[in-house]
Amino acid sequence: MLDTFTLGFELSWIIEIYLGLILLYAVTIMGSYMVLGYLSVIELKDYLTRNSFVNYEVLLSSEFAPRLSLIAPAYNEGLTIEENVKSLLSLNYNNYEVIVVNDGSKDNSMDILIKTYDLEPVEMELDIKLATKPVRGLYKSKNQAFKKLIVVDKENGGKADALNVGLNIAGNPYAVCIDVDCILDKDSLLKLAKPFMENDGKRVIATGGVVRIANQCVIKDGRLIEVNVPDRMLPRIQVLEYLRAFLLGRMAWERLDGLLLISGAFGAFDKEIAIQAGGYNTKTVGEDMELVVRMRRYMLENKLPYTVSYIPDPLCWTEAPESVNIFKKQRSRWMRGTIETLFIHKKMFMNPKYKILGIISVPYWTFFEFLAPLIEFIGVVITLVFLVLGLLNWKLFLLLLLFVYVFAVMFSVLGLLSEELTYHKYPKVRDFLKLLGAAIIEPVYFHPLGVYSSLLGYWEKMRGKKTWGEMTRQGFQKK
Amino acid sequence: MEKFWDLYADKNWVESFLVYSIAIFVLGSVMMFLTLILIRYRRIHRQTLVTEYQVTIEAILMGVMFSDSIYATMVNDATIAKLFRSRLFRDTLMEGTLNLHRNYEGQYAQKLEKFYAESHLIRDSFEKIKHRNWAKNCQGIEELAEMEVGQAFNTFVQLSKSKVRPLKIAAIKGCIKLNGTQGLGHLVRHKNLIDTWTQLSIIHALKKGDIETTKGIDKLLTSSNKSVVSLGLKIIQALKLSENTSAVINLHSKTENLMIKTEARRVMEKLENLN
Repeated sequence: MLDTFTLGFELSWIIEIYLGLILLYAVTIMGSYMVLGYLSVIELKDYLTRNSFVNYEVLLSSEFAPRLSLIAPAYNEGLTIEENVKSLLSLNYNNYEVIVVNDGSKDNSMDILIKTYDLEPVEMELDIKLATKPVRGLYKSKNQAFKKLIVVDKENGGKADALNVGLNIAGNPYAVCIDVDCILDKDSLLKLAKPFMENDGKRVIATGGVVRIANQCVIKDGRLIEVNVPDRMLPRIQVLEYLRAFLLGRMAWERLDGLLLISGAFGAFDKEIAIQAGGYNTKTVGEDMELVVRMRRYMLENKLPYTVSYIPDPLCWTEAPESVNIFKKQRSRWMRGTIETLFIHKKMFMNPKYKILGIISVPYWTFFEFLAPLIEFIGVVITLVFLVLGLLNWKLFLLLLLFVYVFAVMFSVLGLLSEELTYHKYPKVRDFLKLLGAAIIEPVYFHPLGVYSSLLGYWEKMRGKKTWGEMTRQGFQKK
Repeated sequence: MEKFWDLYADKNWVESFLVYSIAIFVLGSVMMFLTLILIRYRRIHRQTLVTEYQVTIEAILMGVMFSDSIYATMVNDATIAKLFRSRLFRDTLMEGTLNLHRNYEGQYAQKLEKFYAESHLIRDSFEKIKHRNWAKNCQGIEELAEMEVGQAFNTFVQLSKSKVRPLKIAAIKGCIKLNGTQGLGHLVRHKNLIDTWTQLSIIHALKKGDIETTKGIDKLLTSSNKSVVSLGLKIIQALKLSENTSAVINLHSKTENLMIKTEARRVMEKLENLN
């Protein structure tokens, strides 16, 4: 009798503690979202006011504009490479070169490039600073119209390896690393280059731009001419997700100077620092985040004043996965990248030597990006156990569920409001209603799918998976 | 304290907390949704008004330029007088006047300047440069500089010392617009760093400004502020001012700052290539 009583008493305490911790975690994560959202809105407002007086023509024809090297790794991009390279060559900027790195494609990418751009092999003295897979050849165009273009043919070594080859070859002090299949805004380089010149005693080591979803948008001659919200629910919710992440997340980290991630799809780096920090890590699938963390760590460890800048303008448009299978692969890879980066830089965790990065950014990513799916999963399992044991307090459970759901919807609406107040890229009422519908569905459809994909990422990481996995794309809607 | 403990101990707080939070979140969502609709409505309404105003403004400005209409006669019309009291109308009128002024010279430009003063648009601009908000200051500077209001020059010089980058740039550009390269003279005594973006903005303003004379640029090379010296060198290179070669050579031989020395050498090479 006594034992049953003791057991019951202890169990009830365990449940209490468990519920308390879950509530504390939920409140902390929501609180952090709200704080980040608030900071983002302030930063966005500030940026837009400042930007309204900026004349980018200043850079367009200036001989003093920062010299940029665009590095675009390509693997089996034969279907779109001709048009994509053409659009890269026609950006509004003066001092830049385009380096397309063919990462051992198995298709006819190289043949298409040679034929379209009238390429011929050239001898170039390479100053190899980063070890990479062997380079088979370097090509330049015989046609003066394509004098900005350099094509590198190399053995397959993955995206990070291809980017390192690009860094070795880049002749300019700033490297802009992009996904070759992204659609760039015509003025994207002008906007990306500007922060490098705003040096208030701190060296700007990297700048990143906002990435938006281009599914169902209309593309003409490699340029985005009409923005639409996708009809399919999965990419549609990703539109909303990107709005929240970029407008309500990264801007806040920029304000705090604690940004850990610049999207691999479009980011610019101070080449010298990127090389000194060791270039892209070929052993991780999260090479974009890992490089930013390593560059920042390098600057902090060498006590060099620096900053990382971020531009909220939608500069780069990419295709989001439309099928659940591709989405799962992408998200599990993102999770593996996060785990690998946090593990490589575990020394920074809660380490005041790394300032805001060590005290806030890395712990935030650890608790709210890396551990969140696991905590949610454990929550679901324990809830099921309570259900089976008949211990579940239904009223409290439903209230907690509603609490989380309503918060998620509110945060999405805040994302939509920020977009409306800033860039207003979705003016059609139909598109706006589609996004609002997505906000209502997101917590019950997309979020669980994201959690499941992240758990897959844990599993794949434990099994030692190191590859990216095939990322089949549908292709953009063309006019 | 005991009250809080009791509340915690009886577990009712969890329920209350959740219920109140849900209510706040729902209210927050609804408020934001309504704000969103309101913003859309206001945007459309504003656009409609601006389109309507533009028709009237076009007639007013054409009258000013080609029929010698004057403000005093215009406001005799009660409708026009009422419009002149509207902030949006005045802002749209200001924009229209500035745009026309950019495209016309000589007597037409002078007529617009006269109208700008008579219609008290100039007063709006002066209010803006005295405003506490730097963004308003920038607007005021752009307006006064475009309409070539010389009496604003000293205020521009003061504002060019601001630490707010866009304001500093707007003020220096304003100085250039009003006084050409002479408008840069005050930078010799400038204490703060002039970053590369600001330097390029100044050079762009000089290139676009149809500057008649480029005298006085060499004075920038004598500044104790290295960023001002760097600006001077960049201007000499960009505008190909070979008459300043001796000043650059002098700077190159005297300076101990390695960056300035390198930059001076590059400018010397560029100027040499010109000859």
